[in-house]
Amino acid sequence: MLTIKNLHAEVEGKKILKGINLEINKGEMHAIMGPNGSGKSSLASVLAGRDNYTVTEGEVWFNGKNLLDLSPEDRAREGVFLAFQYPVEIPGVSNLNFLKTALNEIRAYKGLPALEAREFLKLTKEKQQLVDFHSNLMNRSLNEGFSGGEKKRNEIFQLAMLDPQLAILDETDSGLDIDALRIVSSGVNKLRDAEKSFVVITHYQRLLEYIIPDFVHVLYNGRIIKTGTKELALELEERGYDWLKEELHLKESV
Amino acid sequence: MINSNEIIDDIANKEYEFGFTTDIEMDIAPPGLNEDIIRFISAKKNEPEWLLEWRLKGFAAFKKMEFPKWQHFEMPALDLQAVSYYAAPRKKKQLNSLDEVDPELLATFEKLGIPLNEQKALTGVAVDAVFDSVSVATTFKGKLKEMGVIFCSFGEAVQEHPELVKKYLGSVVPHTDNVFAALNSAVFSDGSFVYIPKGVRCPMELSTYFRINAQNTGQFERTLIIADDNSYVSYLEGCTAPMRDENQLHAAVVELVALEHAEIKYSTVQNWYPGDKDGKGGIYNFVTKRGICKGAASKISWTQVETGSAITWKYPSVILQGDHSEGEFYSVAVVRNKQIADTGTKIHHIGKGTKSRIISKGISAGHGDNSYRGLVSVGPRADNARNFTQCDSLLIGNQCGSHTFPYIESRNKSAMIEHEATTSKIGEDQIFYLNQRGIDSEKAVALIVNGYVKEVLNQLPMEFAVEAQKLLSITLEGSVG
Amino acid sequence: MTSDMILPFYQALTADVTALAAQATVPSTDAVQSIRRKALERFTAMGLPTLKTEAWRYSNIQRYLKEFPYELLNDAAPVAPTVAQQAAIPELDCYRVVLVNGRLQADQSTLPEGKGITIGAMSAYADAPGFVTYFNQQHHLETESLAQLNTALFADGLYIELAANTVLDKPVHVIHVYSCTAHSFIQPRHLWVLNRNAAATIIESSVHPETTAVAFANSVVETIVQENAELWHYCVQQGEDSFREVSTTAAQQFKDSRYHHFSVTLPGTPFTRNNTSVALNGSHTETNLNGLYITNKHQHVDNHTFMDHIMPDCNSNELYKGVLLDDSNGVFTGKILVHQEAQKTNAFQQNNNLLLGSKADINSQPQLEIYADDVKCSHGFTAGQFSEESMFYLRSRGIGEEAAKALMVNAFSHDITDAIHVPALQHFLQEQIAEIMNN
Repeated sequence: MLTIKNLHAEVEGKKILKGINLEINKGEMHAIMGPNGSGKSSLASVLAGRDNYTVTEGEVWFNGKNLLDLSPEDRAREGVFLAFQYPVEIPGVSNLNFLKTALNEIRAYKGLPALEAREFLKLTKEKQQLVDFHSNLMNRSLNEGFSGGEKKRNEIFQLAMLDPQLAILDETDSGLDIDALRIVSSGVNKLRDAEKSFVVITHYQRLLEYIIPDFVHVLYNGRIIKTGTKELALELEERGYDWLKEELHLKESV
Repeated sequence: MINSNEIIDDIANKEYEFGFTTDIEMDIAPPGLNEDIIRFISAKKNEPEWLLEWRLKGFAAFKKMEFPKWQHFEMPALDLQAVSYYAAPRKKKQLNSLDEVDPELLATFEKLGIPLNEQKALTGVAVDAVFDSVSVATTFKGKLKEMGVIFCSFGEAVQEHPELVKKYLGSVVPHTDNVFAALNSAVFSDGSFVYIPKGVRCPMELSTYFRINAQNTGQFERTLIIADDNSYVSYLEGCTAPMRDENQLHAAVVELVALEHAEIKYSTVQNWYPGDKDGKGGIYNFVTKRGICKGAASKISWTQVETGSAITWKYPSVILQGDHSEGEFYSVAVVRNKQIADTGTKIHHIGKGTKSRIISKGISAGHGDNSYRGLVSVGPRADNARNFTQCDSLLIGNQCGSHTFPYIESRNKSAMIEHEATTSKIGEDQIFYLNQRGIDSEKAVALIVNGYVKEVLNQLPMEFAVEAQKLLSITLEGSVG
Repeated sequence: MTSDMILPFYQALTADVTALAAQATVPSTDAVQSIRRKALERFTAMGLPTLKTEAWRYSNIQRYLKEFPYELLNDAAPVAPTVAQQAAIPELDCYRVVLVNGRLQADQSTLPEGKGITIGAMSAYADAPGFVTYFNQQHHLETESLAQLNTALFADGLYIELAANTVLDKPVHVIHVYSCTAHSFIQPRHLWVLNRNAAATIIESSVHPETTAVAFANSVVETIVQENAELWHYCVQQGEDSFREVSTTAAQQFKDSRYHHFSVTLPGTPFTRNNTSVALNGSHTETNLNGLYITNKHQHVDNHTFMDHIMPDCNSNELYKGVLLDDSNGVFTGKILVHQEAQKTNAFQQNNNLLLGSKADINSQPQLEIYADDVKCSHGFTAGQFSEESMFYLRSRGIGEEAAKALMVNAFSHDITDAIHVPALQHFLQEQIAEIMNN
């Protein structure tokens, strides 16, 4: 579904990604871990098409399309969803109106008619329950005055509503207490199916106790330096990243 | 409920009804401004002596006045002697079908969702008024008449209700008020007159009717609305459809009088021709609008959506004379290309316990220049007066300007005044967030702008608000690079 | 233009322009004389401000100018050291500069000394590099006719220049003594230059000895805060009944510099007008303009500020708070101008007023004029009374109404006094405020 080949990117002339290779198939759950500044969030931004990142080398293919050629909105319409680490507040734009617009734009792209108001509301109710999102937040301005947990839950709720093929969760667990983390994770688990793939970017192993990944990748200094299964996450939790760094230096010096 | 077809019927029939067409071929005064011309206008309109005198006083005041200098733009040179001050209402050139209309204009109508028949009427295409038009218009007028509501052209009011006109004309905007008001007083062409009798709640928006009026009253219109004790009226002026006009200068005067416990709600959507991308052409819209809350517990509310005109210069104001009276001003002003808007409000708190609320939302794009200018004054008698002002500016692009010039004067220690102003741009991170949810940048801006102006649009009657929202999106199309 | 009412004084100012200009002979360099001539031309073209002058619409200076037949005074009569002592701030460890009508009194002053410090009379430093480069260069002065008058006619004032990297170890307390035997119009002129990385604290106070003659000071201070320099500039205004003041401060800031300006106006002088303007000629600067005015009787205080954001990435914060007692009136005008090049500007302004006197009034004109799009700007204004709830709470705890008021005023002015970084001055002003409120 998603193929990343030798991806290099920089921001303001600074090299951030230095040759990422990654293959994600339908229905898979990938976790990307790594120390601060390793390029985790940058990878998410590059995939979503944030324009202060410049791709200097490499390719990204999504369902046979060159993702890097597409505008951010077309990437979203093709089915790439980014759950932001810091969702913005947009005063005056109601959550409901925003979602309706987004959903219908995506539907129009796929050649589907706009949802009738009734169907839309029905869908909204259904997904709210699925991810335990308070309906009283629906009529408020987008993310404005939301607590950290509410913002993150809103991201997962949008994920449920927009039903993308690939969801990238950028440090969705940061700033959440254990209850909020449990709610968010259970929302994600309910949305898992054979068609949908996930990339979970996280700094902490604890999220992976709730969301069990098929693969764990360690990103360091702009490259994936190790890939394993969920056991790798546990090992990282116990031993930290230093042993990996040493291993890497050893390899490089050979 | 009156549907849009009926509105068209109204349009189609109005000229006939008031007999405008009868003397249309005659009577165009030679260009120039002098007493003879004013006498000529007055005679043409068969006006009583007192009105002629009033016009002449206006002219005398005009001669002594200078063009204002305090505004935040350079006043264009206006040759007032080159204008012809009397032409019987111009009938637009009749076209045979919409095919003859400027396709750009039609495209805009399409986007605004203006019904076909209305498009025809607005562009001067002959409408096949096969609907039962006469009866609709009659029902409309008949219903108002039944309730005692007077709603007619200014000229008609002078003939039919001289006592009311004489009593209130110039009582809110005196002929000496400012140079444009003085000019208007001297040469005003026509306009609308509304009187709502005691205890009557006007059952319909006096809007649809005016859609027509706006086309033919020319450049110096005069509106007078009087709401007697315990009455209510909502009046809509203007039209979301782009209005083209050959007259460059528009100097209208609007006077509102609210007596005890009366409420007047006055809404405007202004979309005159703004000129081309370089600012050539376009209307100068220099309007004096003022209302007085004369009676206790009365209320006047102005709502305006200003997207057109090369220059907009207007400050709809409220004098809060009656104790516990209330004034409101809600405004959205959009400028792009080389448009200039210098607009705001003046609220004078005179009576005890008076309240006012000002919400102004400016949007600047392109090379537009947008100024909010406002005055809140609290007099010594205005115990416990309250004012809240929120005045926001949104900038799109870095070639535009946005300014706020509020004047706040408080002479009463029990008054509470709050003023807040902010300036911001549409953030790149906001656009990106919306892009990431599949919404393109153009739509993203529209979404944010609509959120930004919501508080003002909410004040408009439902149908009008929807149109105004579309109008804003269209106005800002292509503003985001 | 000027009204007939004050013609005699105006005539005195303009009729014999050459004679006047001839009076102002020092500093006498050609450059200064040429600047004076231009300033006099501008002044004559503009005339004295009237209520029709937009920047003076709420301050009727003519009323004060025509009160008395003023004489232009450019000289200093000898004044006893005890007079300057009246303006001393208890416990303040500082250098002291005493000026009488703008003339430096070396014998009464304790000047800072050392490498990189230049301090002395303006008349003695017209050749100094700082003077040549910066004197009268702040273009905001050009639009203010009284500042032009000052430029044309000033005789002397205080010149300070700190060389690069020079940091003054103690605040400099500048005491302006205005002394006259006949009603006098006085124009002191000062220039303070802080070069790269320099830092200083300057506190200004003024004193006018008890006398029947009225002194009207029309003073101008130019401050230059060069790259990465920092200036704390305090103006304490507690004049007497026989004093009137138009005080113009024109600052220029360069890259990475910090300028903190405080103007505190307390009861006394019937008429005070402060023109404070800052031109940001470099990026990444920080500016704080703080004002506190507590006025009583028929006092009139007008703070007129102008933040000129010329360069990008600058931050300015403006906070003016007023407590208006009795029949006093306050005026605040705050203009923020953001030029098209000044992207990423953050400019905030707030003016809050407590109207406590039954005939007190406030006129405020907060203005934003913005030509750049990537900016955050805001202004706010409030006028009102104490919240009844807070008053009730205090009173229900046994605090009398007057004491409660004093407490509330103290709390209200806290935002300003708290930002004062000289503890002795902070303490002094808090005491003064308490005393005003207790009377």
